[in-house]
Amino acid sequence: MSDPTTSPQEAAPLHGILAEYDTPTALVVASRKVRDAGFSRWDTYAPFPIHGIDKAMGIKMTVLPWIVMAAALVGLGTAVWLQWWTNAIDYPWIVSGKPFWSWPANVPIWFELTVLFSAFAALAGMLALNNLPLPSHPLDLKERFARASDDKFFLLIQANDPKFDESDVRQLLAETTPVIIEEVPEDRTTSDKIPPVLVYVGVLSVFLSLVPFAFFAKARSATTETGRFHLVWDMDFSPAYKAQEVNPLFEDQRAMRQAPAGTVAVGQLQADDHLYRGKNKSGAFSTAMPKGIVVDEELMALGKAQFGIYCAPCHGLTGDGTGMVHKRAETLGGGWVPPSNLHQEYIRQMPAGQLFDVITNGVRNMPSYSAQIEPEERWAIILYVRALQKSQGASVSDLTEADRAQLK
Amino acid sequence: MASDQKKTKEKAAATGSLPKLPNGDSIRLGKEADGLRNGAFGVGAVALVAAVFTGGGPFAKQFQHSYLIAYMWGLSIAVGAVWFVAIQHLFGSRWSIVIRRVAELLAQLVLLMAVLALPLLAPVFMGNDVLYPWADHHYFHHHAYMASKAPWFAPGFVAARMVIYFGSWALLANYYLGQSRRQDATTGDVALTKRMQGASAPGMILFAITLTFCSIDFLMTLDPVWFSTIFGVYYFATCVLTACSTLVLVLMWLQSRGHLKLSVTSEHYHDLGKLMFAFICFWTYIGFSQFMLIWYANIPEETHWFNDRFFGSWLNATYLLSLTHFIIPFFGMMSRWMKRNTGRLRFWAIYILVVCWFDMYWLVAPNLHKDGVALTAPDFLAWIGIAGILIGFSLLRARDVNLVPTGDPRLSRSLAFENI
Repeated sequence: MSDPTTSPQEAAPLHGILAEYDTPTALVVASRKVRDAGFSRWDTYAPFPIHGIDKAMGIKMTVLPWIVMAAALVGLGTAVWLQWWTNAIDYPWIVSGKPFWSWPANVPIWFELTVLFSAFAALAGMLALNNLPLPSHPLDLKERFARASDDKFFLLIQANDPKFDESDVRQLLAETTPVIIEEVPEDRTTSDKIPPVLVYVGVLSVFLSLVPFAFFAKARSATTETGRFHLVWDMDFSPAYKAQEVNPLFEDQRAMRQAPAGTVAVGQLQADDHLYRGKNKSGAFSTAMPKGIVVDEELMALGKAQFGIYCAPCHGLTGDGTGMVHKRAETLGGGWVPPSNLHQEYIRQMPAGQLFDVITNGVRNMPSYSAQIEPEERWAIILYVRALQKSQGASVSDLTEADRAQLK
Repeated sequence: MASDQKKTKEKAAATGSLPKLPNGDSIRLGKEADGLRNGAFGVGAVALVAAVFTGGGPFAKQFQHSYLIAYMWGLSIAVGAVWFVAIQHLFGSRWSIVIRRVAELLAQLVLLMAVLALPLLAPVFMGNDVLYPWADHHYFHHHAYMASKAPWFAPGFVAARMVIYFGSWALLANYYLGQSRRQDATTGDVALTKRMQGASAPGMILFAITLTFCSIDFLMTLDPVWFSTIFGVYYFATCVLTACSTLVLVLMWLQSRGHLKLSVTSEHYHDLGKLMFAFICFWTYIGFSQFMLIWYANIPEETHWFNDRFFGSWLNATYLLSLTHFIIPFFGMMSRWMKRNTGRLRFWAIYILVVCWFDMYWLVAPNLHKDGVALTAPDFLAWIGIAGILIGFSLLRARDVNLVPTGDPRLSRSLAFENI
C-alpha cells in the first residue's frame, strides 16, 4: 500500500499515518474501529461538524462548561462588588428615598458582566483546550489534506501513540476501506513558533491602548494655566440661545420672547387668586379652603396619598421632619439644612394660603412642587397636614362630650 | 369521507392491527387508555364541583379566583402547544417532527379551554364584579380617571375579543393537525409541508397578538388601573414552560406504556430540556424587567401592584417565587446531564408545572387576599379539576390518531437526530 504520490521527502521521522475517506459515514465507522482498538493520540478532520462523531471517537465530555461557570461567577462577583463599592462606600449619593446601595438598579450590570466574562472564558478556554493557536502542523505539507476543508474526510493516527506500530496501524486502517493511506512525516521546514511580527504587534497594541489612560491620569493630577481643549466646540458651546441669555438681535436684548401684552396661554388664566395663589382679596394669605374645594373623606385620602409620594421622603410620614432623605443625608454629614418639623408652632399657626404658597413656590432649600402637584392636590395635602398637626397636638376641647365623659 | 374513515378505524380495531412505524414502534393509543380517560374526567369533574362548594358557590370571590388561577395554568399548556407546533414549522425544524404530533394533539386543548372559560365570562356579562371590578358598569362612574379605558371594557367588545382569541387558536390548532394528518394519508406530500411552513409566519403574528391581549384581559385587568406593556410576554414564557414540560411528561408516559419506545430518544428530551431551561431564564428576564422599570420609575399607578406583593407574607411569597422559579431550576437544569436522563428530566418537568401554577397564584391571589398569603382548598381543587379534564380530553382526542406524523417526508431525519 505504498503511495506513489508521496514525495520521497527527507528522512524526517514519521508523524503519523493518514487515511482519507469520501463520506462522513465512512469516517464515523472508521473512528469507531480506531476507538475500539484503544488508540489515544489520533484525530479526525472534516469540512463540517458531523453529528455523533464525538461518540464514535470516544471523546469525553469537555471541562469547558466548568471554566465558563467559574468565569461567570467571577463576572457576577466583580459587578456586584464594583457597584456596591462605588455606590455605597466610595461615593454615596442620595437618589430620592432609595438606599445608597439600591441593588435592583444594578442587576442589568450583573447580567452583562456575567455574560461578558462567560463569553471571553468560553472563547479563550476553547482555544486553550484545543491547543490553539497552532502555527504549523505536519498535515499542512500534505497537498491532499487541503481538501479537508472542502469535500474529503481524514483520520490521522500519530506515531507517538503508545500503541502505535506502523504495520498494525496500516492494517487497521486498510480494514476501514479508505480511499488512500499515506505516511505523514514530521515537519522540519516550518517553524511552530508564533511569527515574531504578530508578537511585536500584540505587545505594541497593549502599550498603545494604555496611552489614553496615561492622558487621563495626567489630566487628573496636573494643573495648567491654559484653558480646556474643546474637542467638539458645538457640544460645549451650543449655538442655540439658552433661557435668560442676552440676544442682541432684539431691541430688549432678551433671548426669551415675551408674550404680547394681555394674552394668556390656554388653560393658564388662573384668575382665582384663592385657588391658585392662596390669597384673599386684600392680598393676604387666606386661612380658609377655596370655594371649589369640597372637604370630605375623598379629599383627605387624596391628600394622604400625595403627601406620601411628594412630602414624606423629606418630612417623614408623620410630618416630623425625619424622612428617609433626611436620615440618609445626616449619615453623609456636611451642610444639610434639615426639613421642617411640620408640628412646630409657627407652622401650626401658618394660614392655609401660606402653606399653599410654600408648596407652589418652595421655601429655603425646598424646591417648588408646582410642576408635579396640581393646585387641587396641593389643597388636599394641606388638609392632610392639618390632620397630622391635630393628631400631635389635640386638646381636650377637640373631643366630643361622650369622649370626654369616657376619659373621666 | 368521514364514514370511510370510521369504517377503516373499526376494521383496524376489529383486527387488532394498530399502525406501527418501520422500526416496530407502536404509534396508536387505541382502547388501552379508555379507563384512564374516564377516570381523569371523573376526578376532574368531582374536584371542580368540590371547588365550587368549598369556594362558596360559582359566583363567589374565592371560587372565581381559584378557578382563574387553575384556568390560566391550563390555558398556558394549550396555547403553548399551539406555539410549539407553529414555531417548529416556522423554523422548518427536523429534530421535533417525531414529537410534533403529540404537541398538535395538546394544541387541541384550546377547544376545551374555550368552553372552560365560560364560568369566568358568565359573571362578566352579567355585570357581576366578583372577579373583575370593571364588569360592573358603575365602576367607571366612581373612577372618573378610568373613563378613557371604559370602551375597552364594553361587553360587546370583550365578547368579540374572546371570540377572536379562541377562534384564532382553534383555527391554528385544527389547521396544523388537519394538514399533518392529510399528509399522513397522502404518504408524504412535500407541498403540504411547504404550505404549513408558509402559514406559520402569519400564524405566529396572530398568535403573538391574541396571546398578549388575552393575558391582559384575563389577568392584568384584575386590577384595571395597573398596566404593564410586557405582561403578555411574561405569560408567554409560562406558556412555553408548561407546554414543553407537559410534552416531556406525555412522551415519557407514552413510552412507559410501550409506544414510541425507539423513536423518542434522549436527544429529543435533551432539546425539550434546553427549551425549558432557556425559558426559565426568559421568564426571569421578563419578570425582572417588568419589576425594575416600575420600581425605577416609581409611579403610584404602577407601583401599587407590586406593593400588594411586597408587604406582609406576600413578600415571602415573592422571594419564594424568585427562588423556586429561577434560582433552583437555573442551577438545577443547567447541566446537560440533567436534561438527558429520563428520571431527572421528569422531575424538572413536574417541578416546572408546579412553580408555574405558583406563578399564576402569585399573579391572581393578592387581588383577593390583600392581607397575606392564604392557600385555600378551592385553589387546589380547581387545579386538580382543570388538570383532570385536560388529561381526559387529551386522551379522548388522541385515541384514534397516529402519535407520529408518519407522512412527514423528513421523519427519518428526526428519528436519527443527534445533538453534537
